[in-house]
Amino acid sequence: MKLKKILNDQRVVLTLLTIGLFIFFGLRNSAFFNVDFVIYPLLRDGATLTVIGLAQLCVLSIGHLNLAVGRMAAVSALVAGASYQYWGLTLVQGAILGVLAGALLGAITGWIIVKSQVNAFIVTLAMDFALLGLVTFIYVTFTGATAAFTTKPAGMDYWRSKSLKDFCVAGICGPKSIPMMLLPAIICLILVSFMFSRTRLGRELLSTGSNLRAAKLSGIPVENRVMTAHIFSGTLAGIGGLMLAYANGSFTAAIGSQVMLPSFLGPVLGGTLLAGGAVAVLGTFIGTMMTLVIRQGLSVQGIGLETLNIALGLVLLLALSVGQIQKMFTSIKLRGKK
Amino acid sequence: MKLPVFFRNRMTEFSLSVIFIIGFLALVATSNGVFLSRASLQGFLTYLAVPITIGLAQMVVLCIGQMNLAVGTMGGVSCAIMAVLMADHNLPIWLAIFIGLFSATAIGAINGALVVLTQLNGFIITLGTYTILLGFQYRLVKTFTIDKYPSSLPEFGKRNFVGFPYILVIALLTAIALSLFFSRTIMGRRILATGGNPIAARLSGVSNNKSIFIAHTLSGLLIGVASVITISSLPGINRSIGGDWLLASFAAPIIGGVLMSGGTIAIYGTVIAAGVVRLVDIARAQYSLDPSIVSLSVGVVTLSTVALSEWRRRRTERQNEGIKGSP
Repeated sequence: MKLKKILNDQRVVLTLLTIGLFIFFGLRNSAFFNVDFVIYPLLRDGATLTVIGLAQLCVLSIGHLNLAVGRMAAVSALVAGASYQYWGLTLVQGAILGVLAGALLGAITGWIIVKSQVNAFIVTLAMDFALLGLVTFIYVTFTGATAAFTTKPAGMDYWRSKSLKDFCVAGICGPKSIPMMLLPAIICLILVSFMFSRTRLGRELLSTGSNLRAAKLSGIPVENRVMTAHIFSGTLAGIGGLMLAYANGSFTAAIGSQVMLPSFLGPVLGGTLLAGGAVAVLGTFIGTMMTLVIRQGLSVQGIGLETLNIALGLVLLLALSVGQIQKMFTSIKLRGKK
Repeated sequence: MKLPVFFRNRMTEFSLSVIFIIGFLALVATSNGVFLSRASLQGFLTYLAVPITIGLAQMVVLCIGQMNLAVGTMGGVSCAIMAVLMADHNLPIWLAIFIGLFSATAIGAINGALVVLTQLNGFIITLGTYTILLGFQYRLVKTFTIDKYPSSLPEFGKRNFVGFPYILVIALLTAIALSLFFSRTIMGRRILATGGNPIAARLSGVSNNKSIFIAHTLSGLLIGVASVITISSLPGINRSIGGDWLLASFAAPIIGGVLMSGGTIAIYGTVIAAGVVRLVDIARAQYSLDPSIVSLSVGVVTLSTVALSEWRRRRTERQNEGIKGSP
């Protein structure tokens, strides 16, 4: 009975599936177990995409979408890159500035949505277009043909290439396969999870998402909560953008251009509802890792980019249909009971 | 000031036409008349045909209150199918074009069926099909440029009637046919009803699912037309085809006055807005500005148009409430 309950948990199933896939790909080709070339980059990408998935999750919690999540990440990287190149700020100062830029963009987006009452995905789509032009324009105007900020502040390579092996406490060092980049992701996971499960703010966000009218009638300031969700989304997108830039090694306009699909895949596979009202914070991490294992596994098999895209698109459509089929079965069961 | 009803209802189209004419004249003046030469005028008109058709393809989906993120890859895939069939399998042109149109329509139908079956927003479904199709496009074209198809197709693309390319005629005829579909047929009316108010539409006996399915299928067909135009106006097909269609497909209808909340169409507005965007593109080339400036200005204009139209809609609603409220 207890086992059945555990197996019914989507997270457990996903974790087992991810581990199964990992072992499957490893057995097919032992190069997949290579720490330096596969596992380390896999976890580093997983960390970045988890943070961006959480950025999407924050707006999904109120039933909105953020199509500009990648471009907000790009702006944050742009601001941080410019501050290193032109104002000579340190790693931390620039990072704070970049994250603040992301939060500001989120606030602007939230404000437009609340004030104009236009659907969130329309506002974020238009935002995406405007930011796309702006970011490219700034890079080209300031740096000419290179179109990148290349100044690396001290400590950037540390985050980029170091692992827990370099982090020793009392002579005991961590495994080489865990990148340092995983730390900020874990902190974000803990904070977001804490907010949704333990604080009043998190519950207010969720009830805004599950039923706007009911939330309003029970005295929740729904307009403020819409703003809050978008500010969180912008902040997390900003953190994700910085992590992308650090992993990349330079600040370019291409940062964040590939994250829109993954940002949905992680939360949706983990069990976050697109309609709002239910989030799966840990599930986002597991879902992200599963898509990355599929992606990396296929590419180690020597399967090209084209098949990867087909596979990932199918995974998204399947994940969405599974939820729908479940709902259908539940309603049939309910009808049968009546 | 009270404008006649005709102008009040067509304010967007009217002002866009004025902007188009002024912009056109400004370009002629600043280029010392070079813009009026046959070659550059023909270039302007030839590359206007694709933005018009993809704008219309997006408009059809916008009018049911959804969006199609897969326009670019749908076009890319059907171009790739046509090119591969003609170059590697020596199919006759008419058959290849038929298959290209059919496959784009079929993909549109799949989009529509998935939206109806899952009852999810078209945005997320087309994001999924976008990714899948991108994979197919890359797999079909690989890293090559396919240009070994019969030269009569690109030659047709260059043919024109006193400087007026035939492919633009195709785009305009498509626009006219679409306008007839929405104004004269029952199905067109039903699609608009679904977009305007799904609950009211259902209560008056319209099948919303059918409208959604037809709108996505029609969008696919229009993308098919756009791909035929593309393949006959370009010297070869590679994997970048369709990569820059998304912003253009939204810009034309939205600037042309289509509401993103659904229920409206503006075919003339879409056509003329595509023309204005094309003028911006020409101006950029003429003053040798960076391409990103075009997407920045188009993005900002699109964003402000959305905000403005929403503000106007709410003002009208408030006015209507005022009418209802007064005894």
